[in-house]
Amino acid sequence: MKLLVITQTRSRAGKPLQAKREIQGDWLRVGRAASCEIHLPDPRVALHQGLIALRDGIVVYSEGDAAVVSHTATTRKALRSARLKPGATVNVGPYRFTGEKAPEGFDGAIAIELVKPLAEAASGLTTRAGRLTLASLKLSKRWTSWALLVLVLALFFALPAGRILDLPWRAASQSPGVTGDRFWNPGPVVLAHQPVETRCAACHTSAFRHVQDRACLECHAAVGHHVGPELKPAALFQGARCASCHRDHKGVRATHRDDDGFCIACHRDLGAKARGTQAENASDFASDHPAFRLSLLEGDSVKKVRQGADELAESSNLVFPHAPHLDPAGVKSPSRGRVALDCGACHKPDASRRGFEPVSMERHCRECHRLEFEPAVTSREVPHGKPAEAVTLVSEFYASLALNGVKDSFEKAFGVPGEGLLRRVGQPSESERRVALELAKKKAGRVAVDLFEVRVCNTCHEVGHEDGAWTIAPVRIASRWMPQARFTHRSHAQSKCADCHDVARSMDSSDVAIPEIETCRKCHGGSKPVEKKVTSSCMLCHGFHDPSHPWSPGTKPGAVAEARGAR
Amino acid sequence: MKHQSILEYANFRWFKVAFALSALAGFAYAFHEPPTKPYGGSALGYALGGVAALLVLWLLAFGVRKRLYRSTLGSVQGWLSAHVYLGTALVVIATLHTGFELGWNVHGLAYVLMVLVVASGFYGVFVYLRVPGAMTANLGDETLESMLLRMADIDKDMREKALSLPDQLFKVVERSVMTTRLGGNFLRIVSGRDPGCPTARAARELPELAKSLTGEPANVNKEVYTLLLEKNELLARARRAMRHKAVLDLWLYFHVPLSIALLAALAVHVITVFIYW
Repeated sequence: MKLLVITQTRSRAGKPLQAKREIQGDWLRVGRAASCEIHLPDPRVALHQGLIALRDGIVVYSEGDAAVVSHTATTRKALRSARLKPGATVNVGPYRFTGEKAPEGFDGAIAIELVKPLAEAASGLTTRAGRLTLASLKLSKRWTSWALLVLVLALFFALPAGRILDLPWRAASQSPGVTGDRFWNPGPVVLAHQPVETRCAACHTSAFRHVQDRACLECHAAVGHHVGPELKPAALFQGARCASCHRDHKGVRATHRDDDGFCIACHRDLGAKARGTQAENASDFASDHPAFRLSLLEGDSVKKVRQGADELAESSNLVFPHAPHLDPAGVKSPSRGRVALDCGACHKPDASRRGFEPVSMERHCRECHRLEFEPAVTSREVPHGKPAEAVTLVSEFYASLALNGVKDSFEKAFGVPGEGLLRRVGQPSESERRVALELAKKKAGRVAVDLFEVRVCNTCHEVGHEDGAWTIAPVRIASRWMPQARFTHRSHAQSKCADCHDVARSMDSSDVAIPEIETCRKCHGGSKPVEKKVTSSCMLCHGFHDPSHPWSPGTKPGAVAEARGAR
Repeated sequence: MKHQSILEYANFRWFKVAFALSALAGFAYAFHEPPTKPYGGSALGYALGGVAALLVLWLLAFGVRKRLYRSTLGSVQGWLSAHVYLGTALVVIATLHTGFELGWNVHGLAYVLMVLVVASGFYGVFVYLRVPGAMTANLGDETLESMLLRMADIDKDMREKALSLPDQLFKVVERSVMTTRLGGNFLRIVSGRDPGCPTARAARELPELAKSLTGEPANVNKEVYTLLLEKNELLARARRAMRHKAVLDLWLYFHVPLSIALLAALAVHVITVFIYW
């Protein structure tokens, strides 16, 4: 068989083009395989789709499932075979085979045309590689930026600012559901302020203005000023606000730092700041601090005496040497033999354990210092603290003895033979009565003098005479030697009393046993840490606000300036 | 002339400036005695905060400067070098400004945003130092576009040849030609992977399928397989190139919006601090 194959294509302009070639063979294979005589390079064609043979004209046979389809049939039914007379057509995949009239020398002719070309675009990789960069995904830095900007401004500024800037949504911004201004809180406030922590307006009353002292004084009405009016505090603290020293939102523990810097700023050279001050300069406890100034009671007033500078003597009107009482061998007790006393025998810590309870005659002295007046009668004592009653008691005692005393007691007491007047036989005569009364009176007088001036009262007290009666000078023992100092015995409980108070050899009650600053410095250093010393800033012992100078509008700089202007 | 990275620019000029600035802030912090504890509202706190805020504004201005192509105000390279080093100094200064006090508030938000911006910037510097080298090594003289064209050629060639292969084999090759894709979504672009890549699959499956082939089809298959491997190789390179580009771009999608958020948070921080002075 010799077949003419006319391959028809179309130019871009649509003009038909023809390529002719001749093929020889008994069976001509049709398919997309390169080995096929009629090669149809299209994926829609089977590898071997059909065969062409000469059987009284051209016949196309189907091979396999992919088949030759009748062009004219309404149903696209596969044909087993189709005779290609000139003019007849069959479809082979996207190709159309048309029978042509066989030219001279050929057994037949077929025209082949690709009638359904592949959509070219669909096959290119480039069409499936359109988005290779992040930018091609339409991710936008710009819009993300704007969104974040608006989000932050709205959530953290516009919404919370409703209250303070009086914006239209003021009411809404105060409701607890909305963020409010709590996100503006830069840090926790001190514990005492936590009840108002969520209410910023409690302190921050107006926008863009410092917190006003007014806001502080609303609660802290009882706060004291640092110095009294005589030092003109308004001039000293010109421009100072509560917040000059106290900054909140710096943690729950304190609003200020225990820092000597504030104190030293003035106290380094106090005279220059406050003329008329009696305080001496100080800048560091270890290296630059004056001796202690003690408050001594003098009469009904208080005298301040600096240790070392002036003679220190306590005038308590009490006669009390510490040394004999602290004799290691003990003191003689009338009932318990020798008893060794320690400080705690008389000085009991008070409830605060800051200081001590007052020493009491009844509790601490009387066991040994009995107020007996008649050696023969140890059961009778005069009352303590009442000289007139003591004299009366003594008189009555001896009068009673002169009247009722048995012979033995009578003779011991009066030193003459006899017995109580009423014990004698018969009615006592007038002269006997006078003698007995005289006897009792004289004896009582002697005993009272002995009691007050020789043996008992004057052991401890200054005994005087006034209008013919004995007087006992009132006892004034200082209990707060440095009332401004923040000293507590409780913090020093691990030390022995004698570490600070040297009384073991004290023979006079005028001795002052308050330790000097050097004693404190054995343990307390200055504001800089030093080995084996307690770092001691000013605030360890001193306070700033003095309750004895209550804060008043007059001490406020602004108010004073106004007052001056008015005058 | 030897290539000079932005870090080495002008003999480390901006490193020295940033270091001096940080050291100065550190000394000031060490010797400053604030009234309570160190915080943003002390004298030094305000000073450090002011410097930090100015730095933030200046760092943001880099985004403007790099677009002003005609500007002669320093070279963009110099600006970038300064941007990197002063951005690092900003962390030191802003941290000292906080006095190491941070909380769950707008002030903390500003700080965290700043740290995130700087951290993303650090990552950006790392990427800019590392990726271009890898990119050049990967691409050679080619570009992503030229590789795509080459692959298109291979596709055409391979498909033509594969037409004469049995259906099963042709299907595999055809799938590679028709459905292989590059990029398309965020994950594929950034990872540079396509787990179900039909080309890679074809390269795996073809030898097994072609076992029974003999004669001419076997030869054709060999050619097709060679082309397939070449395409697969090109694909891997193209995907790597795509990933490199994405990595170079990606950090900026965090760096820029976060820096704008920082600007907002910083403004809120400054304003609110003075509202509640």
